[in-house]
Amino acid sequence: MAALSFEGVSHRYAADGRPALQDVDLAIEHGELVLLVGESGSGKSTLLRAALGLVPRFHGGELHGRVRVGGLDTRRHRPGELARHAGLVFQDPEAQIVSSGVLAEAAFGLENLGVEPAEIRPRALAALRMAGAEHLAGRTTRTLSGGERQRVAIASVLAMGPRVLLLDEPTSQLDPAAADELLRTLLDLRDRHGIAVVVAEHRTERLFDVADRVVAMRAGEIVVDAPPAGARRALSGQPWLLPRAPSTPPPAAAPAHPAGQLTHASKRLGTTQALDDASAAFERGAVTAVTGPNGAGKTTLALALCGLMGLDGGSAAHRGRAGYVAQDPGAYLLHDTAFEEVEYGLANLGVPEPLRRARAEAELERFDLAWAAAEHPRDLSSGERQRLAIASVTAMRPDLVVLDEPTRGVDGRRKQALCGLVRGLAADGAGVVVVSHDAPFVADVATAAVAMADGRIAPRAVPTTEAVHA
Amino acid sequence: MTGAVGIAAITLDNPLWPTAAALAGGLLLTAAGPPRRIYAAFAILTGLTVFLLEPFVAVQGLTTLWRGPDIPILDTQITTEELAYGAVAGLRIAAAALAAGAFVRLADSDLLLRAVARVAPRSAMIASLTTQMLPALERDAAGVLVAARTRAAAVSRPGTAARLTGPLVGMSLERALAVAEAMEARGYAGPTRSAAPVRGLSARERVLTLLGTAALAIVLVTVATGAGDYRYFDLLGDPWTPAAIAGAAGLAVLAAAFAWVVRWRP
Repeated sequence: MAALSFEGVSHRYAADGRPALQDVDLAIEHGELVLLVGESGSGKSTLLRAALGLVPRFHGGELHGRVRVGGLDTRRHRPGELARHAGLVFQDPEAQIVSSGVLAEAAFGLENLGVEPAEIRPRALAALRMAGAEHLAGRTTRTLSGGERQRVAIASVLAMGPRVLLLDEPTSQLDPAAADELLRTLLDLRDRHGIAVVVAEHRTERLFDVADRVVAMRAGEIVVDAPPAGARRALSGQPWLLPRAPSTPPPAAAPAHPAGQLTHASKRLGTTQALDDASAAFERGAVTAVTGPNGAGKTTLALALCGLMGLDGGSAAHRGRAGYVAQDPGAYLLHDTAFEEVEYGLANLGVPEPLRRARAEAELERFDLAWAAAEHPRDLSSGERQRLAIASVTAMRPDLVVLDEPTRGVDGRRKQALCGLVRGLAADGAGVVVVSHDAPFVADVATAAVAMADGRIAPRAVPTTEAVHA
Repeated sequence: MTGAVGIAAITLDNPLWPTAAALAGGLLLTAAGPPRRIYAAFAILTGLTVFLLEPFVAVQGLTTLWRGPDIPILDTQITTEELAYGAVAGLRIAAAALAAGAFVRLADSDLLLRAVARVAPRSAMIASLTTQMLPALERDAAGVLVAARTRAAAVSRPGTAARLTGPLVGMSLERALAVAEAMEARGYAGPTRSAAPVRGLSARERVLTLLGTAALAIVLVTVATGAGDYRYFDLLGDPWTPAAIAGAAGLAVLAAAFAWVVRWRP
C-alpha cells in the first residue's frame, strides 16, 4: 500500500473559477523522496494540503476523487486524525509555531494526539534529535534563527510519528549552509527511517538529482512524473524548472559615484551586535549582492543604508532617494487595489495626478501586473505580491534600491524576468543592492558582492557561485 | 508579582500604593527583555491622559486652584483634590499597564497554558497564542511602518498612522489563519488530548514565586484590613500612615528584588 495516494483528484477553490487540481493520479511509496516542481499557482501547495485533508476541510471548495494517507481516506477522517500518518511543514516557519519553548513546541502535536504523558517528552526529544535540533530543546522559540525555526517546525511534525513528511518550499528562507543541512536531514529521514518525503520547491539545485522522482505540475495537472534523469529530459522545454548550472557573472560595473555608503556602522539589536564596524559603498549603475548566513546582519544593513533604522555608531548615507523592499511583501499591501499601491508613493512625493497615473500604469506593465491593477493586493499570489511591492518602490525612481530577499516564493520563470528588471534598474543609473540567499540568482544578477557574518563585512568581490555558497 | 502590582494599583486608595505600584511596574518592565518601549509608551500616555482629563470631568473638592470660563459638559473649576485624584488615577492606569506589559514579556506562556488548560483548555490556548503572537504582531507593525516610510509617507501624521491600522489588521488576520491551519494540521481539536508532565520549577523560579507570593500577601492583607483606604474629597487626607508607608515600601522593595533576580546571570 502506498504511503500517500491521489486517485483522480480535482479541486476548485470556492472563489476561483479555474481548478487548482485536475485529475491528479499520484502514489508516493514509503522511503521515497519526491521533488514537486512547478510555477507559482500550478497547484503544488494545494496538493500538499489535500494530502492532509486541509483541502477542502480548512480552505473550502470542491474536491473530487480520493486521497488516501496511511490507508485513510481524507474525506472520512479529519486532519487531526490524519496527522498521525502525514505531517506538513509550511513555508513560513514563524506562522506555525504556537509555543514559546522549543520542547513544548515539539510536544504540542503529541498532546493533541492524546499520547501518554510519560511518552511525550522522550518522543519530543527524539524528534528534535532526528531533525538535528536537539541542542535547541532548552531555547525559547522567539530566539531562534530562520534555519533553527525550520528545523524545530520539522521536528514538531516528526514527533507525531508520520510516515509521510510534506514540506512546502522549506529552503525559501534558509541560507545555503542551512539549506544543505536541511537536505542532509531529509535524506537521513528517508534512508534511515523509511519516511516518505515530498518537497515542493522552486530552488531545485540541491534536491533535483538526489530525489527518487521529480513530479512537475502545470495548471493543477501533473505533467511529468519521472526519475531525475527522465524529468530533466522531459522538462528541457521549461528550463526554469530545472536546477541551474552556475552562471558566469556579468562584468563589473564601471566605477561611478556611490549611491549609498556605510562608514564604520554599528548597531545593536537586543543582545545581538547586528552591525559591527561595517563599512561598504554601493555603486550607482551596479547591482551589489549582500550575502551571508541567517542572522548575519544583512537586513539591518539594508535598513540603515536606506535611512530606515538609526545607528548606534558610524554613519550611513545615500544620494537622492532610497527605496527598500522588505522580505515580507505582505507589509507593502496598504491599499485596496494594486494600482493604488503603486500610486501611493508617487502621491506622497507630490507627483501631479496625470503623470502619477501614467507612471503607475507603466510600472505595473513593466512588472507584468497590468492585469492586476484593479485586483485587491491580498488576492494576489506570493510571487505577484513580491513584484507589486518592488513596483510600488521603483515607481518612485529611487537612486538607490535595496531588495531584501526578492526571490522568496518566486518561481524560476518569474525569477528570470526579475533578473532582467533588476539589471534594468541598474542600467537606468540606480544603485541596486540585492540581499539574497538565492545563489544562482545572485550569480546571474550581481556585479559585485558583499559578504557578511556576525555583523561584519568582508571586502567586495565579483561573485562566483563558490563565493556565494561560502 | 505582576498580579500583586495590578491589584495594589487598582484597589488601594492611599496615594503611596499606586505610586509604589507604578514604580514596581516600571522595575518589572525594565527587567523584561525588549521590546518594551511600546508598553512603557502606552502606560505613560494613558496615565497622562487620565491625569489631564480627570480635573475637567470631576466636580469635587473644596480647595480651588483655578476657575476658567464656563464650557458646557466640562467643569473648569480645578481643585487640589481633583488634581490629586487625577494624578493617582493616572498612576493606577499606568501601573496596571506596566504590570500587564511586564507580564506579557516575562510570563512563560507554555507554563501558563498548562496550568490553565486543566480547567479551560481552549481558553488557555487562546490566551497562550495571544501572548505568543504579540511579538510577531509588533514585527508586522514595524514592517508596515517601514513600507510606508520607504514610500515617503509621513507616518507621524495621525491620518496616515490611522490608515496603516487597516493593513496591519489584514496582516494579523492572515497570520491568525496560518496559525489556525498549522494547529489543525498538527491535530488540534482532535477527539483526545493529553498533556506533557509539567516540569518542576527551577531555583530561580522558586525564588521569584516566593517574592511574588510575599508581595501578593502584603497587598491582600492591606486590602482586607482597610489599611490602604484614603479620603480625597472634600479635603485630602494624610497619606503618611505607618501601615501605608510600610506596605508600599515593601511592595517596591520586593518588586526591585524580583527584577534583580530576573536579570541576574550566574
